[in-house]
Order: sequence, then structure tokens, then C-alpha cells
Amino acid sequence: MTKNVELLLRQLKDKSYRSLRTMEKEEPILYPVDYFGFHIGTNERLPSGGSGNLTPAYDRVIRMGFDGLRQELQRAIACTESYEEKAYGRKLMETLDHGVAVCDAYRERVRTNSRLYEALGRVPRKGATSFYEACLTIIICIYLLRTSRGTHLGLGRFDQYMYPYYLADKARGVTEEELFETLEAFFISLNFDSDLYTGVQQGDNGQSMVLGGFDMDGNSVYNELSDLCMDASLELNLIDPKINLRVGKKTPIEMYVKATYLTKKGLGFPQYCNDDVVVPGLIKLGYDPEDAQNYVVAACWEYIIPGRGADVVNRGPMNFPLVINRVIKEKLNSCSNFEELMTWVEQGIKQECDRIIESYRDRKRMDIPLLSALMDGCTKRLRPMREGGVKYINFGCHGTGIANATDALAAVKLCVFDQKRICPQQLLEALEADFEGFQEIRNLLRSCPKMGNNDPMADEIACRIMDCFSKNMNNRPNGQYGHWRAGTGSAMEYLWSAAKCGATADGRKAGTPYSSSFSPSMDVKPTGLLSVIQSFTKYDMTEIINGGPLTLEIHDSVLRNDIGVEKTAMLVKLFIDRGGHQLQLNSINRERLIDAQENPEKYPNLIVRVWGWSGYFNELDKAYQDHIINRLAYQE
Amino acid sequence: MQGTVFSIEEFSVYDGPGIRTTVFLKGCPLRCTWCHNPEGQEPNPQIVKSPNGCTGCNRCLESAEKVDGRWHYTEESIKNCPMGLLRVSGETVESQGLCERLLKNQGLLQGVTFSGGEPLLQSDFLFACLKTLKGKLHTAIQTCGYCEEAVFREAVSLADYFLFDLKLIREELHRKFTGVSNEKILRNFAYLAKYAKNFVVRIPLIPGVTDTQENILGIIAVLKANEVSYVELLPYNKMAGGKYQMLGRAYCPGFDEQRQVMIPETLLKEHQIRYLVL
Repeated sequence: MTKNVELLLRQLKDKSYRSLRTMEKEEPILYPVDYFGFHIGTNERLPSGGSGNLTPAYDRVIRMGFDGLRQELQRAIACTESYEEKAYGRKLMETLDHGVAVCDAYRERVRTNSRLYEALGRVPRKGATSFYEACLTIIICIYLLRTSRGTHLGLGRFDQYMYPYYLADKARGVTEEELFETLEAFFISLNFDSDLYTGVQQGDNGQSMVLGGFDMDGNSVYNELSDLCMDASLELNLIDPKINLRVGKKTPIEMYVKATYLTKKGLGFPQYCNDDVVVPGLIKLGYDPEDAQNYVVAACWEYIIPGRGADVVNRGPMNFPLVINRVIKEKLNSCSNFEELMTWVEQGIKQECDRIIESYRDRKRMDIPLLSALMDGCTKRLRPMREGGVKYINFGCHGTGIANATDALAAVKLCVFDQKRICPQQLLEALEADFEGFQEIRNLLRSCPKMGNNDPMADEIACRIMDCFSKNMNNRPNGQYGHWRAGTGSAMEYLWSAAKCGATADGRKAGTPYSSSFSPSMDVKPTGLLSVIQSFTKYDMTEIINGGPLTLEIHDSVLRNDIGVEKTAMLVKLFIDRGGHQLQLNSINRERLIDAQENPEKYPNLIVRVWGWSGYFNELDKAYQDHIINRLAYQE
Repeated sequence: MQGTVFSIEEFSVYDGPGIRTTVFLKGCPLRCTWCHNPEGQEPNPQIVKSPNGCTGCNRCLESAEKVDGRWHYTEESIKNCPMGLLRVSGETVESQGLCERLLKNQGLLQGVTFSGGEPLLQSDFLFACLKTLKGKLHTAIQTCGYCEEAVFREAVSLADYFLFDLKLIREELHRKFTGVSNEKILRNFAYLAKYAKNFVVRIPLIPGVTDTQENILGIIAVLKANEVSYVELLPYNKMAGGKYQMLGRAYCPGFDEQRQVMIPETLLKEHQIRYLVL
């Protein structure tokens, strides 16, 4: 780590520097050795209720500059007859001009920082001419978008679109050390104001970076810069950017080993995405192959096409346990066998899909002109991004509580139908009473086969409900320029949806959380990691590809030395090679988390993975802290 | 052939080469004072109660039986606990059924390790499993080495890999801290070193007990005599006493737990013994 990077890190960690935010409002904040500037000059959180959860076309913006986008707009305005389109085009031009004006004014006030001053003479107006200028362009876009209510802005395939600038700099004689310092300064810069960003919880800011992956011919595109990004993340220990690694069957074990050292840091990333599953899955949903091949995660784990996708990836959710509870309540007494009940369940899921689709038909998202201007399409089509401005405007539906729903149905099958140890009425009463006075029934339900234990019966139920969900959701028109796509994510719905759901037949009490995304239920006694991997790779995940990872918590003692790291890397490879679509692997130490809850002052830097993002443990609401503490940890 | 198993751990990282499942067989002839798996000591299934989350409602005691002044939980106690904190530790399984369970993960596994307790205490059951798994999964035995010579020889002929513990060399100390003499252990070790296909020696480093200079030199002498040049060191984990409460027992290790474990790096290097700290 260079002296400059050390100094920047010190300022980031020393919160007293943040008092600069309120000191001289008219002057830009510049920290000592600041590389990029553009800090938000307030201590108040940015207003919520914006728009985003996608990745701007950074490749285009960096290459063309705002001037290039402006020229594209001028050409398009000249070509169209539509008054509306001309007007929207002028609006986009204005917003770009405004952005440039902000940067010009800013430049005048940062004369003391010659590096920044000089670069601002070109970017964002012109295309970047160096790696540093390209980084600066991104920082400027983030600043302008954030202050225009843009939220959850992913960084996309940074190692791909930045690679030409990296190589050109190297060819010009810039040393790898200098480039690495710039990269680290860029990473640090992403952390400076993230406490002001809006999200469900602090840390939920969508600053995900996607590295590696394969091209159309199946060749790995993981490059020197990808590797430097991994190194920077390993060295800096910061929550942003959140690293996502695109992998596949051809990914060598060495890459998994390196990534596992990052897991060992306890930052809650990298998250793995499997090209062998995601790309064909997106193609099935109508994405062009070359776009599918270019996929990224929008903010957490929702798959999206950078620049060309303005999909609203988190509509819904499908609250599976709630649907199943409703069916059990209404139909269980009249069913003579489990198959009959499953038919009703499938009908219930279908009806819920219909209801969700109908309820979002007319709901619009606000347009942020600057965000539209920075996407690939709006500057040519002269339309807001979510009104036909870009190529893909699909809706994603989270499938929440899949494991709890599966476990509930498996318990009903075994206890009510196969073994007849509980009669339907008894079960209904027990659920209604939230198991108060029905302890024996609850224990019996809890001892049934669970999703994650590699039990064929439970896993078949899981496959059936996922299949029903995807068949009734995928590719149905959303009434707004796109289609629906089913997924396995939960986002915060593992708490929100669960709060709305009464006691479930897996023995779960009313209101208690589901497991996060695509993971075994919270109080399941695990058979073990290998069984979990088998259970969670049985369904053809290309059918349900809105995103939503299997989340595994490994006790940090497993990773205490190279043997543990290498074996954990082998485990990840197993999951990917077997067709798992997405994996989030966390190294946790429950004792430490419990201690941190009681003595937060001892752990100012403790980082945990929450759902699709990492945050500082101390900054989370207690409900989220508790959920992390109560997640399954393997090997303690 | 039936046996009693108290835990099956998938993806056990430190019990042999590659991705493995470890099967813990119940019952042990030793009583090491630092034992971190005390539920593995008694050969028969027993009911254990997790201390975390107990509200003290005592519903478990309503159906418990008092024997020799101590409460023994019953099956009814398990059902009655509103928090689900009681369970039976120790499952009686058929060797065939156990092997089928293990083979469900065959494509993901490199091998299986039998640990304990002391797996050789249930040698007939263990050997039945090893024979069934032969040619399908790599097998390992994690052992204290305490058993009859004939049993040990058969084990060596059946298993692919051994993890063999060497704890204390001075016989009276071995008796004091493990409850038995080390004579059989050292004899079996000599056989292992000569005839086993593959093995690794493990030394639990217990502060002030096994990590003393005298003991390490003793172990080095045994290693040299048997031409062994590599060991794995297991430093004492302060969480070792964690499971005793679950059994209604007090943890009395008989040494100072807080004392720093001495890693005998210099001694091992001096004697050209390679080592790895786990």
C-alpha cells in the first residue's frame, strides 16, 4: 500500500474529516491527496424515493464523453418528426449541459489540486484519455446521479470497459504501481459518501462490481485488471465496491482460491455468478445472446444488462409461505391426498402471479433524465429509459421463502397424508394458535424432511413450486415495454414478507423471518454443506434467473489456514460445476457478532453480508443483526 | 452390523485429504481431560440438552427419572420441551444404511473419515463400513491408537489413511490425563509407521501438559525411531469445554486453560521434523 493510499484510508476511517461536509458549503470538499473529489457537501442523507437499481452504460460515457452523447442527441432530434421526442431530447441535452456546467464550476474551485484540475479540462465533456480520467468520469456520473435521486448504481464490468484505458496507460509507460494506486484511490472514493446514500439499510447502495466471465466463444475474459481489482479489495478491506465474480465450469481452481481469501476477509464477498446458467437463462427470457453474455448484477444479485437494461428487477414479491398457508387453510380439509393439495398449491401460485402482474401493470417509476441520458438507447430513441428508451425493460419478481414453503409442504405430506400422525383439523388449529399449546405437533413438523438436507421428497416439492412460479411468471407481458421474470431472491422481504405471514406448517412461528433469498430455512438442523449444495442444484436454475443466491455461512475457523481456504474454494467450484446459479459465501463468527451487539464500540469495522450487500454491523437495525446471528453456520 | 454414531459432519476440512465427510462413532476408551467431544465418550445413546434458550420451565423434568440422585431425561422430556432443546446424541445405524447415506454425496466427496470417540472401539461395525466403501470412497480413520493389536492390524489393512494422535510419552502422565496407559498406543504406532499405506501424526498441544519440552522431545524420539518426519499440531482451543454443560457435566481439564500454548517450532526444526499448525 502506498503512502497516498494509506493517507486516504486514514481520512476515510477518521470520521472527523466528515465534518468538512458542513464547514464551508460553498467550497468543494477536498481531502489531502484527494484523487477524485466530488464529495457530497452535506451531512444529511440523500432524499429517498429515487430510481435506479441498474448499471449505466459507463463504457459509452467514458468513450464518448458528454459531448459525444450530446451529438448523438442532436442527430436523433434532427431525424425525428415527433414533437414529444424532440422535447425529450432537448431535456436530455439540458441535463448533460447542466452536468458539464457543474463540473466546470467545480473545476474552478479545485485549482489547488492540479491532477484533478487538469483532468476536468477534458472529462466529462470529452472521452477519457487515461485510466485516471476514466475513473474520474465514473465518479462524476455517480455524483451527478446520486444528487439527482439515482439510487443503487452498479459499476458493471469494470475490468472489461476499463481495460483498454489500463493497457493504453501501460503502453505509455505508466507503471503498474501507479495504476494500482489510482485503482485503490477509486475504490476508496466509492466509500467516502456511501453513508449518505439511500437504501433499506446503510450499505445497501448497489455499488457492485462484476469481474471476469466468458466471451461468446467461451474464453475467459478475466484479465490483469480483474486481478488488480481483487488485489485492491483484498488489501483495502472496504465494503465498496462489492465484488462479484463471474465463473463457470472452465474457471480454474486457483481463481476460486484467490476469491476465497477475499471471503476470508469477512467482507461478505465475492459473490459468484455462474455464466453457464445465467447466460442461457437470460436468452430464454428473450435477451439477445451478446447482451446476455454481457450480464452484470444490478445492485445486489439481480441480473441485468449494463446500459441496455432498465429492468425493474425487484417487483413483487411472491410470498410463497403466505400462498401456501392460504391454500392449506382453505383446502386441506377437503383434500384426500397430497397430490390434490399440490394441485391447489399450484393454482394458488398461479393466481398470485396473476395478481402481482395485474397490480404492477400501471405502476410507473419516475424518470431521472440524466440516468436515461447515461444509458445506451435513450439518446437515440429520445424516450425515457423505462418508457421504451432502452432495449430491456422487464420486471423481476422475487420468490421469497422458497425453503419455508417447501418445508411446510413436506411436513404436511409426511405428517398429514403419508403417516397420518396429524389430522388436518389439528394442523389448522395448531397454525391458528401459532403452536401455543401444540408443542408436540410443532416438534413433529420441525423434524420432517427439509430443503437443504438432500431429501428427494422435499427437493421435489421445491422443484415443483419453483417450476410453477417460473412457468406462470416468465415471459408474461408487464404492460410496460417488457416481460416478467421469476427469481429466487428475497431482498429485505425475508423480514417484510415474513412479518405478514402467520405460523407455517414447517413449525415456523408467526412473523419470524424466512431464510434470506435461496437458502435453507433458519432453524433447520443442517445435514451439511454437501447436502445443501445437492438440494440447491436440483432445479434447472436457467428457468428462474431474476437472481437470488444460495447463501452459506461458514464459521471463520474453517478458513483459518490455507488448507481450509483451498477446500472451501473446491466447495464453491463443486456448486458452480453442478449448475448452481449464484452463491454468496460468508465467513462468520457468531460469538463475535453477539459480542458486537452488546459492545459495539469494540467493533467499529466489523463488516457483514446482509442480503445482496455488505454493511457495517453496528449500522444495522437490530432485526437485521439478529437475522445474521441466527443464520445457519456450518462447522462450529 | 449395527453401530452408534453421534454426528456426521459434511465438509470437514481438517480430517484428511480433500473434501470429506467425517463420521463420529460413539464411545472412547480414553478420558482425555481436554476432550472437546465429551458426548463421544459413552458408548450408548444419551439425551443431551442444549443450555442456550432454556427458559427454566422444567417441563423436561416432569417426565425425567431420578437414578442415583441424578436426573435422566426420557423420550417424553424431548417431546415436552417447548424450545426443542433436548435431543438424543447417538444414533444406532446399520453399516449398510450409513454407507448408503455417505454415498449419496459420492460425486462431491473425495473421502470419508471415521472419527469419534474412538472408532476402533466399534471395530466390527467400522470394518463392515470400510469393506462396503472399498473402491467407492477413500477412507480414513482418526484414532487415539488404543486397541488390541489384532484389531489395529486389520484396520491398517482396510483403511486408506490414518490420522494418529500422539499425546503424552511419559506413561504416568498419559495415565493421569487420559486415564489409560500408552503402551498399546506406542506399539500400534510402530505398526502403523511400518505398514500403513498413508498416515499423518497429530499432536494436540495442551498448555502445560503436552506442549512441554520434555514431552515434545519424547514425541520426537518416537517419531525418529519410527522414521516419521512430518506432524500436524492442534493447538488447544479454549472452546473445548463448551459441550459439557449439555451433558450436565462440569469441565475440569486439570490444567491452566488460560496459559499460552507453546508451539514447539524450534524443537521440531532442530530435529528436521516438518510440521503444520492446524
